Amino acid sequence: MGVCITGIGIVSAIGMSVEENLNALREGKTGIGPLHYLRGTKAQLAGEVKASNDDLRASLGVGTGYVSRTSLLGLQAAREAWGDNKRSGVIRTGIISATSVGGMDRSEVFYKDYLAQNSPDYQLLTTHDSGSTTERIARELGITGYIDTLSTACSSGVNAIMLGARLILQGTLDRVLVGGSDALSGFTIDGFRSLMIYDDQWCRPFDDSRAGLNLGEGAGFLLLEGEKSLELTGNKPICNVSGWANAADAYHQTASSPDGKGATLAIQNAISRAGIGLDQISYVNAHGTGTKNNDHSESVALQNVFGDRVPPFSSTKAFTGHTLAAAGAIEAVFSVLAIQHNLIFPNLNYRTPIAETGLVPATRLETGAEVNAVLSNSFGFGGNNSSLVLTKYE
Amino acid sequence: MSKPALYISAASTISHQPTFRNAGFSETLGPVEASSALISPDYKAYIDAGLLRRMSKILRMSVACAKDCVEQAGSGQPDAIVVGTGLGCLQDTEKFLNTSLTVEGLLPPTSFIQSTHNTMAGQISLSLGNHGYNMTHTQNTLSFEHALLDAAMLLREGDRNVLVGAADEHIDILNDIAVQLAFEATAPLTSAASFFILSDEHTGNAAAALADLFTSGATDNAQEEIDAFLDRNGLQPGDIDLALYAGKPVSGVARNIDYLPLAGVYPTASAFAMHYAVDVLSENSKVRNVLICNTLRKSNLGLILLQAVEA
Repeated sequence: MGVCITGIGIVSAIGMSVEENLNALREGKTGIGPLHYLRGTKAQLAGEVKASNDDLRASLGVGTGYVSRTSLLGLQAAREAWGDNKRSGVIRTGIISATSVGGMDRSEVFYKDYLAQNSPDYQLLTTHDSGSTTERIARELGITGYIDTLSTACSSGVNAIMLGARLILQGTLDRVLVGGSDALSGFTIDGFRSLMIYDDQWCRPFDDSRAGLNLGEGAGFLLLEGEKSLELTGNKPICNVSGWANAADAYHQTASSPDGKGATLAIQNAISRAGIGLDQISYVNAHGTGTKNNDHSESVALQNVFGDRVPPFSSTKAFTGHTLAAAGAIEAVFSVLAIQHNLIFPNLNYRTPIAETGLVPATRLETGAEVNAVLSNSFGFGGNNSSLVLTKYE
Repeated sequence: MSKPALYISAASTISHQPTFRNAGFSETLGPVEASSALISPDYKAYIDAGLLRRMSKILRMSVACAKDCVEQAGSGQPDAIVVGTGLGCLQDTEKFLNTSLTVEGLLPPTSFIQSTHNTMAGQISLSLGNHGYNMTHTQNTLSFEHALLDAAMLLREGDRNVLVGAADEHIDILNDIAVQLAFEATAPLTSAASFFILSDEHTGNAAAALADLFTSGATDNAQEEIDAFLDRNGLQPGDIDLALYAGKPVSGVARNIDYLPLAGVYPTASAFAMHYAVDVLSENSKVRNVLICNTLRKSNLGLILLQAVEA
């Protein structure tokens, strides 16, 4: 039976729920555009969630203003994934969230006033640390006990799912809500601009002319349950978390190696952990940020593993923007949707193959083929490479 | 449920105290002074000079402790690297925040690159050339315990040696923030890093065994959870020769020591306590069971049970 996914939740630039996200993916409708809610940044385009903090607080019933956007987005997705499930004295339940910026969206408001000596509100800093983001979500859902946060830059979301699956298999937990959340901030926009990998135009993953990423924001959560929990909740499994792996590239603090070493290891080990053949992977949801470096390195890794039989693949980042720590979780939810509805999502904005590798992603919504197993990749700063294999529940 | 013990085959700490490469330090340590500073080793012995120049305090401490551990254990390349940090790379975070709010035009990217929480784990993997599992946990005052729990799971999944540790760095603004938020620190705010090699078997040089560990977030009954933890390990409070605590002493144990005055206050100070415990266990054969009880933040409980290695 293994580790089952029984609930999913998502908020991103293309929608406030699983249903809205699925519709946008089917219609090929991007959420990337000029920023409306976050003001004063240098970004031309980003994947902003179409709701203000006040809107989110009101709809989630969160009273205090001392809450980060990262927590609010996380809570929105976590609530949807949690659904009508109840707290239980018998089912050992935990929560693992992933975040890269934590409460930076609040901290930068504080710090601006602090520098200007304009009576800064120190209370804003109580939401700064990443752990507090998860503690806030746990508190709102009434989850106590195992509460953990991972922060491995852009691979964090996949790592949260992987850790959750391991905790269930080791018998430490019976069910665990896993996911990731990150809000847009001036800090990260300036950061990626300083690295000169923020495209002022709409990002073009896997295209030869790609010139960088557009940041996005959002959250994805999945409810994982083991056998004991399923017996007690009676929940119906949607998919299995079958394979996972994490490997270090150990090449450079931010850049990926040209030979895709870490990525190759992560993909290979995840598929081997899933115990399926390479030819059984129906679809690859690629990391595909749209930077020169990532898309090249990831293409090389895909060819290292699959040779000339690379499965249909696409990056969905031209829909959502790169949501950093949330990306792995959001894309895991997309992968679940691919399996549930037998879909392969289009890689928007692709025209010309990358000269060195020649790989061609899926560019149209494909509805004809059965999707039984999906590989989802997330690679990050610090050479953190993680891959996940989700399979249809049999 | 009793699981086989795991072994701590190396420990290394850089702190405001003379802890680095100083076996027996636990016998002479006094409270950390408010005026104290980080006691830095000669980092050039551990880190390439070019890299060193760009590294913040937390990166230097972490890479040096990690390398020292690998050298002490003599077991070669660790299978995995797991790091816990409460607040991450504050120095670079503040620096980039400052630059991005005050500088127009193109910004230097180094402090942004080094601001992510996983920079320590990433830099350690780079400096060791390690391609294994690489993870960073950040759960407030329980960040170290979560990293240790992950490391213990990896050993039960088949890894042999895991490098696990924690680090946090102090920056000046923290003092101001502590005052403004009325955070009553019982000791000075400090910086430190502690790393360990956790192994699945005793290869002769292990100083202590990690018998069990447990975390609980948003807890409202710490005492009940402590009792249940000891009970699962077949122990009574009276069997604990030494409890190292932050927050509240543990009732019924032979001896209690508040580790915050020794380590100073930072989110992962329980990692300092673990090195202290390892040092006590290797110096004093009368001590068999040490419990680290971390309630630095009242609603978060971390428990680590260490035992003397059977000869």
